[in-house]
Amino acid sequence: MKDFGGLRAVNNVSLNIKEGEIQGLIGPNGSGKTTMINLIAGNYKIDKGAIYFSRERIDGLQPYVIASKGIMRTFQISRVFKDMTVLENMMIPALTQNQSMIKAKALAEELLEFALLTRLKDEPAKNLSGGQNMLLQIVRGFMNKNIRLYLLDEPFAGVHQIIKGVILRTIKKMNEEKGITFIVVSHELTTIQYLCHQISVLHRGEIISQGTMEEVANDPSVIDAYLGG
Amino acid sequence: MQFLISGIIMGVLYCLMSLGVNFIYGIMKVINWAIGEFFMIGAYVQYLLIVTVLGPRYWYIGVFIVAFCTFFLGAFVQKILIKPMFVGMVEEKTEYATIVTIAMAILFRNLAIFIGGPYIYTPPDYAPPTRIGPLPLSGNNFIAFIGTIAILALFFYFLKRTWIGKAFQAVSQNRSGVLTAGIDVLKFDMIAFGIGTALAGAGGALLAPVILVYPLCGVIPTVRGFEIIVIGGLGSIPGVLVAGLSIGIAESLGAAFINPSFVDIYGFGLLMLILLIKPYGLFGKPERSV
Amino acid sequence: MILPFYLADYWIYALTLTFYYVIMAVTWNLLGGYTGQFSLSHHTFAMIGSYTSVLLIIKTGIPLWMSMASSWIFTAFISLLLGILCLRMRGIYLALTTWAFAEIVKTYIRMDFEFTGGDRGLNAPLFFKTMNPIPYYYLFLAFAILTIIVIAIIMRSRIGYYLRTIRNDEVAAQAMGVNTVRWKVFAFMVASVFASVAGTLYGHFTGLISPVSGDFYEMSLIIIFVVIGGMRSQAGPVVGTISVRFLAEVLKKWPEIRMIILALVVILIMRFFNGGVMEFLRQGVQRIRQRKGRNPVSGLQKMEPRQR
Repeated sequence: MKDFGGLRAVNNVSLNIKEGEIQGLIGPNGSGKTTMINLIAGNYKIDKGAIYFSRERIDGLQPYVIASKGIMRTFQISRVFKDMTVLENMMIPALTQNQSMIKAKALAEELLEFALLTRLKDEPAKNLSGGQNMLLQIVRGFMNKNIRLYLLDEPFAGVHQIIKGVILRTIKKMNEEKGITFIVVSHELTTIQYLCHQISVLHRGEIISQGTMEEVANDPSVIDAYLGG
Repeated sequence: MQFLISGIIMGVLYCLMSLGVNFIYGIMKVINWAIGEFFMIGAYVQYLLIVTVLGPRYWYIGVFIVAFCTFFLGAFVQKILIKPMFVGMVEEKTEYATIVTIAMAILFRNLAIFIGGPYIYTPPDYAPPTRIGPLPLSGNNFIAFIGTIAILALFFYFLKRTWIGKAFQAVSQNRSGVLTAGIDVLKFDMIAFGIGTALAGAGGALLAPVILVYPLCGVIPTVRGFEIIVIGGLGSIPGVLVAGLSIGIAESLGAAFINPSFVDIYGFGLLMLILLIKPYGLFGKPERSV
Repeated sequence: MILPFYLADYWIYALTLTFYYVIMAVTWNLLGGYTGQFSLSHHTFAMIGSYTSVLLIIKTGIPLWMSMASSWIFTAFISLLLGILCLRMRGIYLALTTWAFAEIVKTYIRMDFEFTGGDRGLNAPLFFKTMNPIPYYYLFLAFAILTIIVIAIIMRSRIGYYLRTIRNDEVAAQAMGVNTVRWKVFAFMVASVFASVAGTLYGHFTGLISPVSGDFYEMSLIIIFVVIGGMRSQAGPVVGTISVRFLAEVLKKWPEIRMIILALVVILIMRFFNGGVMEFLRQGVQRIRQRKGRNPVSGLQKMEPRQR
């Protein structure tokens, strides 16, 4: 549960996610989706309740500790390190997990290749377009060798079709090959339907529905939430 | 008891400086490290006015003129130096503002030495010495006190009662929000900066006979001004008053009961105490990051 | 560097002073330039170092090397505390708090003249038992080079990466696993301890320490050196310090004009040419490369003429 001085942003949310699942998190604006991610990632502290990850309590930990436990996240507005090159940006999560600089560089180059960003690897990140930034943000997360859960906050917002395709391809591949669990927050319902195994609908800080896209789309309370607000 | 009074007087005198900085900060989130130099410019201009044209009896006219001049100087400076920060030409904002205003302070200080020479000018007294109860008070201090109170009162009236003042309050609370209300934030920035510097300039004009007029006369007010800001909290207007009074009182009591030669340290002692308990000052608010 | 043997004492002294400032500039750059912690109390740690060392000798009579080492340890401790205090602060608050710290320490030293000698200062025992400036020249030169190398090593290592992320985006850095708490304090302590070493060396070189070294003027000099040379570059602070000091010596007959020019240059650089001299050089090199046909920005080879 999370209060913001009078506004209960998240209330009574009980969310269980299976390992290896791609979970979609949707809901009208202001329903608390980003807050959820911030809570899990350690940027906000919960007021009541607990967050467990693999039977371990992680609420109250610093974001960098949570990252070392294998939970990575992206931000709605891409937070890349603007004055560092794309390659340097990539290396950070590997370095913090005690990879050597050489290995980190090699792994970064490999991932950049996969994401079709190799050509930009020595560019300062500030020179990238918005979509490229988002792609960089996302691929960067995979540099954490311990990554098991990835929280993506609006990864498709304002992103070019081609880059969106790369992002989707990457998510699917990482999920299938490495068993990484995903929570994807997005407004793009068709993409979510394509991508996610299960979907939770958040409204006014509470989960009002869970299931596959068909189940959820036909749920009267969901329709009500989106239309009524 | 008399120490309390003299403490209050001194405390109030320094409030103008910190008010200037805090006001500018509230609007633009920028600290003007050169505020003391506007004080100094105010003092110099006032000295010139009094010695050449006005004569000490019309000191208040001088103060008005000075406030006017420093207002425009401040607005001009803001336009060429600070505004670019907000029109997207500068990346690292706080760093830029800090470095540029510090450089400005150095520039003005040395310009003063270059133009006016490293001399101390003594303006003639504004008024003969008076008394408050049993406490003798120099006429200049008295005038400075009254003048400061008047300016503070005017400022608060302006801020709380006029619609422009309310607009400024709005800008300080929500910069992007006011754009939708049709307020030209950039122009307000310029005016706010001008007002902030005008406050300092007026302070310089008022305090000229007390502190005397010389190139570095802006240094002590700057230090006191920032002391007040750290104690009272950045961006907090009531904090300025509370802090200003506290420092003034702390200094006087300390000088009276502990050791007069340690005068400067009492304000800082108070500062250290406050910093340890409340690092953002009494009324300060930390910035939100995520 | 056999120079000193050919120069008059005055110039040896001037160069030694320059090396001192190089150390201060390079280490402040680590903290303010790379990590983004714009501290206004760097000079204060130099002063804390020199005063601690001298006071220890005066009050307890321990040998010079011991008092110096102790003062460095003491400074490390103080900077640890200050660093922790400043952890949650960003930009402006950090500048304000470090400024307050600098003023507090300076004012205390000025006020408590029974203990610290106040404005009159204190006499410091000399490091080398001689008035000949040449050994000091080499001492400072060596330490300056050491400092440059250490800072360069730090910045090239993963620590350097972490520090840069902290400046770029602290929240993102944390999300990527960077222990921002640890590294911010690290930068603070490293910079401050180096400053205190420079300060103690300087105190035991000139033989006189005074609270003037804690003046805001000293801090503004450091900022000027780094900004003009180029913040966030390895060579920037060095180049900046040397060239500005040189300029200062050339113009020493007109001290005010000197400062006016420097202040204007700083303002111009911040306004138009953010990276200082080093950036200017770098862009110059890029333009030369472009004219030779290779575009360094996108790594593309020279395009076919008809595609232009």
